[in-house]
Amino acid sequence: MTTLEAKTATDTGRFQGWWSSHGWTAGVWVLMFVLIAWYAALIPKFGAFQVNSIVKNSLPLVMLAIGQAVIVIGGGIDLGIGAMMVLANSAAAVLMDGRPFGVTLVIAVGVVVALAVANGVVGWIISVSRVPDIVVTLATGFIYGGLALLILPGPGGSTSEGMRYIFTGSAGGVGSNFVPPVLVVTVVTVVVAWYLRRTRPGLSIYASGSDLNAAYLSGVNTHRTKIRSYAMGGGLAGLAGLAVLALTNVGDPRFAVGSAATLQSVAAIVIGGIALTGGVGSVVGVVAAAIIVFFLDLLLVAVGFDSNTAQVVQGALIVAVMMVGGLLEVRRRRLE
Amino acid sequence: MEQVPLLEARGIAKSFGAVVALRSADLVVMPGEVHALLGANGAGKSTLVKILSGVFPADSGSVQVNGVEARIGSPVDAMASGLATVFQDPALIPDLTIEQNFRLTDVDLDVVRGWLDQMEVENIDFGRLVKGMPLETLRLLDLARALAHDPQLLLLDEITAALPADHAEKVFDVMDKLTAMGRSVLFITHRLAEVLRVCDRATVLRDGRKVAEVEPKAKGEAALLEAMVGKEVKAEYQDPEQRVVPADAPVALEAIDLHSRGKVNGASLSVRAGEILGIAALEGQGQDRLFELLSGDRQPESGEILVHGEPMRARSPFDAIARGVVSVPADRLHALLPQRSVRENLTVPLYNRVRHWFGLARNEKERAASAVDRLDIDTRAQSQVRRLSGGNQQKVVLGRWLASGFNTLLCFDPTRGIDIQTKRQIYDLLRELADQGNAIVLYTSELPEIPLVCDRVLVLYNGEVVHSQDAYSATEEKLLSAAHGLAGAS
Repeated sequence: MTTLEAKTATDTGRFQGWWSSHGWTAGVWVLMFVLIAWYAALIPKFGAFQVNSIVKNSLPLVMLAIGQAVIVIGGGIDLGIGAMMVLANSAAAVLMDGRPFGVTLVIAVGVVVALAVANGVVGWIISVSRVPDIVVTLATGFIYGGLALLILPGPGGSTSEGMRYIFTGSAGGVGSNFVPPVLVVTVVTVVVAWYLRRTRPGLSIYASGSDLNAAYLSGVNTHRTKIRSYAMGGGLAGLAGLAVLALTNVGDPRFAVGSAATLQSVAAIVIGGIALTGGVGSVVGVVAAAIIVFFLDLLLVAVGFDSNTAQVVQGALIVAVMMVGGLLEVRRRRLE
Repeated sequence: MEQVPLLEARGIAKSFGAVVALRSADLVVMPGEVHALLGANGAGKSTLVKILSGVFPADSGSVQVNGVEARIGSPVDAMASGLATVFQDPALIPDLTIEQNFRLTDVDLDVVRGWLDQMEVENIDFGRLVKGMPLETLRLLDLARALAHDPQLLLLDEITAALPADHAEKVFDVMDKLTAMGRSVLFITHRLAEVLRVCDRATVLRDGRKVAEVEPKAKGEAALLEAMVGKEVKAEYQDPEQRVVPADAPVALEAIDLHSRGKVNGASLSVRAGEILGIAALEGQGQDRLFELLSGDRQPESGEILVHGEPMRARSPFDAIARGVVSVPADRLHALLPQRSVRENLTVPLYNRVRHWFGLARNEKERAASAVDRLDIDTRAQSQVRRLSGGNQQKVVLGRWLASGFNTLLCFDPTRGIDIQTKRQIYDLLRELADQGNAIVLYTSELPEIPLVCDRVLVLYNGEVVHSQDAYSATEEKLLSAAHGLAGAS
């Protein structure tokens, strides 16, 4: 009798433990599916074409938000991440223009690695100089944005059909094969989530963001960890830039594109359950949140808002979701 | 045959800006011994431990492990040299599970489990988040992790504080096992009874220097206390005068059976108008929390705070201040607006009155000027408070309450790191305030000051008031032995 009670008690404890660490992630995914179902009910026809459209169009933001999430989990924030995406997009468009698939693939890898290295240097600067992340990345954002315009002064360039297929599911960028983009999201998410949660260097990122001092005392190289999280953010911003290029088949160096993307990436991680103070949250939730941020606009227009009003409503909804998160946290503290 | 010491630290010095934490500390730990590191508050114990565990580097001095010069630049280096530390605040990451925490530091989970079994810590779900787990469990987990690194020397910083007695016994058992294996333990504690019981030798620090190496079991408690207090110190202080607070003076502030999350465990006190009540305690005995409760910064879980006989029920310091209970916190810069002028800092509390929202109080200048005069604040750098010396900053904090008025003043270690002349001025001021009918509660880490300034003194131990007496006759020895939780101190 007593053993049974004890067992039930630990089971409840387990469930509460699961709920407290994964509940938000689960909730964001449910919200995403509810919104998509609502949208499906509103439009005349909902099928593979629409699924493809949602996934491929939100892909850049999803990649960017995962990158931002890694950096924020590690205790930083990157205001230059959108500019990095623009730089990757512009550089790849110029380099890939008119080249066969094999060459563009090598260029793609090169762009991702180059941005990872560049942003690793940014992490190094932050760690060595102890200048706040927000200040350093604001400045590097201008550098990245400027470089993009140097490389490509106006819209131009293109990519190969193979690259377009990888990120959009069709050589022309329009179609209903949603398998390739879904695969890209899944592989990236699983790899990043596994790395962060199951490996020592990945756990160090959580540890540094959660309690820098305790992490240092436990023997974590906090300096290298910072570099690592920024490098990952850079690489993912590179992927986001490639996704934009595949989607539009053109390089777009406009600065405003980058700044809007940065803000959306922050909105996505906050909705996705990443604490801006670091160390808390899962990239799995961020994926759904990024899709929501992209998709909300579409949905609001489908419901009948004009796109300017839709923007106001979108902002208000983001505030509301964040307030729910904040109030839950306040309640939790009270109970403790 | 001469034995090579396991650890030999020589001439370790460390300063933080102008504050000297360690002047020249020596420490020799032999293989197979439990060695105590003792000293009063501010003697430099924690600084020495942090240097040995690689938290920050020493300014000078050398550390040898097994006769070989060790360079300890980070916690990783310390572990590589065979030194593992369990800090007072467990170095576990709150947002990771226990298992992830262990994986982070690359220890063998089975070895950790083995040590936990030995300590009879069972039923630990390794999948649980560290956040929200009780402190004593975390301490033992941290200890098991340190043991799993298989250290030559285990440094235990106040590990038995807040551990229940049966768990402390387990820790002692583990220490026995280690020493039987030829490993050593450096044991830092405020509990002298434990030192007498488990430690083979003890190094005593005072004022950043090693002053004695004692065998506690042979010499006994008195020798330890004497070494910690030192004799020459007393000469610096004048003889205290005896003061009597009239018994019919009204009680200004009373706390009844306060509890707060295991930090304050049933503390009661009362202070009369015109009285200076001293609080003495070693570090970490709940004094910080007690002052937070009294100043309205936190609400007690149970117990009551009465102001002039009526419940205070403060939800924030604002409410407490409105009832005349004001506070001078330990960190002066917490209380000040460092980039604003002296005058603005002095008059901040006045802004609470609505009619002052629309401009300066008519008499703001006069109030500020009179406070500056009274306190003898050096105003050469008055445009920004952060440029003032520590003593002058403290005077500004006090002066702020002079300008706005109060009836109970809570002072938390107001003279830490302040020169002797300014100290005197602050004490004279406190006395003057008390003579005007204000009540003052003063915590100070400098025990010899208590008989000079206070009328009565309470000693806090583990969140409880364990001792109370006239400040006049409170010698440092008496206070220290009460503060170490030794029975029969009175």
